[in-house]
Amino acid sequence: MIVYDVQDLVKYYPGQREPANKHISLHIEQGEIFGILGDNGAGKSTLVRQMVNLVASTSGSITLFGQSITAHPLHVPRHVGYMPQDGRALNQLTVDEALFYTARLRGMRRADARSDCDALLDRWQINALRHKYSSRLSGGERRLLQLAVAMAGSPPVLILDEPTNDLDPQRRKLVWDVLRRYNTERGATIIFITHDALEAEKIIQRVAILRAGELVALGKPSELKQAVDQKLRLELFFSPETPPALLAGLPTYAIEAGRWLVLLEWQQAMATLASLNLEQLDDFRLYSATLEDLYLYYAAQPH
Amino acid sequence: MLRNRTDRPALLPQLGDLFLMELTNWRWSWRTLVITGTITPLLSMLALGVFARGSGAETQAYILTGNIVLALMFGMMEKLQSRFMFMRITGALDYFATLPIQRSLLILAIVLSFLALMLPALVVIISVGALLLGVSLSLNPVLLLVIPLCAVPLSGIGALIGSLARTPEESGAISLLVTFMLLGLGPVVIPASRLPGVILILGWLSPATYAASALRQALLGPVTLRLLLDLAVLVGLSIVIFWLVSLKMRWRQT
Repeated sequence: MIVYDVQDLVKYYPGQREPANKHISLHIEQGEIFGILGDNGAGKSTLVRQMVNLVASTSGSITLFGQSITAHPLHVPRHVGYMPQDGRALNQLTVDEALFYTARLRGMRRADARSDCDALLDRWQINALRHKYSSRLSGGERRLLQLAVAMAGSPPVLILDEPTNDLDPQRRKLVWDVLRRYNTERGATIIFITHDALEAEKIIQRVAILRAGELVALGKPSELKQAVDQKLRLELFFSPETPPALLAGLPTYAIEAGRWLVLLEWQQAMATLASLNLEQLDDFRLYSATLEDLYLYYAAQPH
Repeated sequence: MLRNRTDRPALLPQLGDLFLMELTNWRWSWRTLVITGTITPLLSMLALGVFARGSGAETQAYILTGNIVLALMFGMMEKLQSRFMFMRITGALDYFATLPIQRSLLILAIVLSFLALMLPALVVIISVGALLLGVSLSLNPVLLLVIPLCAVPLSGIGALIGSLARTPEESGAISLLVTFMLLGLGPVVIPASRLPGVILILGWLSPATYAASALRQALLGPVTLRLLLDLAVLVGLSIVIFWLVSLKMRWRQT
């Protein structure tokens, strides 16, 4: 079933000559984890704000579960939990209150809202903060509260604007784990914007890449990678004084002192690995193109 | 997925939850409620009362009720102006816009919560003020209707300023300007007998005139037919102003 159907979306902000986004068409299926990548100013936030009906589109249409999002102001709010980038909205509430009231306003009975609140505090590991004012939280704590607020009342669709911003590596991992679980346990559709292409790759099922307001790539990461680049990446780590000897003619890039990136064709991989003198190396990694490579490719190349 | 929800949340519980959420605004507003909503009107009463000593009971009555209107402006108009402004700049408006709530209930909840926060200040101002000015109160039960009806149009003006102004600074400045304009235009703090005709005529356009008149009757008596006119105008103004507020609130960016 199609959750979101976006057709030929265009947005001009008043007084600006360049559109924030132009001719974007895409659809998102139920139960999908959908990532939106792009540089700053590429129009990602505008797109999701159009999808939750906070920004009016200049032209084009958006339907949610087959119904236009503008037909009724409560259509989107009944199905979608939205997390904006800015986390100051609930400043005067405690963590506990923010979750409880959000669950209530999303239609839960008092007892259900209470247990939902407890479950979210546990799941996001913010139980110790439950009586703290939201305004007193650190950036990372506040991000987790915002994520929990978006999930309060268990909406079937989540739209998250940069869920891992302000988070340390451990908490970023928590975010991906919780989102994946929410997706598998409840069949929820999760749509998010991210700059963490490498980490998001663990959970993203389909991706849209935006550049200067245009949709430049759309599809499964594996398919996009095949179309773009089938080379393997061999990363070598060594003491800068003793660089390893490599077979002649391999394209090698020095990323930093003591770290090289070598691009290999499939058939070169075995021979190259066999030729490595492991005593000269601290470590090596062999991998296929990542989502980040794709992102850099599409964000950088003019089409 | 949705089994824990009711399909159409009942409106009264929704209003209750929104009211309780908005009531938490006491956490930032109580200091200014004490200072501008309570102490300032009392100081103003004290100063004007000393100045106007010996000019008769009518003047003292105007000073009392006029300053209650001032307190309502600081406590309701000014607070609503800042709440509406901050909802826009902190993203709270986006938060509410993406929740399945009746939007008019949010506006109602904000007004009711700030009115509830204002009540203790009003009790202090009325009782201490009457004592300071030596005015004898003759409370009429209609006061329970008069106070909300005085507060609502003033809150609406604040909500409108907070929805339209570009920055918090601009919003605060406009609110202060309107406060003094409404106090000065018409017999609010100063009795009609001491005001020039043009001010009296302009006063007919100001909600503060009707609020002050209604308060005088309900607090000091006698209640006359004039109260019906005052309340009718206050109700009418409330409807018009909140209709404008609902038009001007930017739930959706263009």
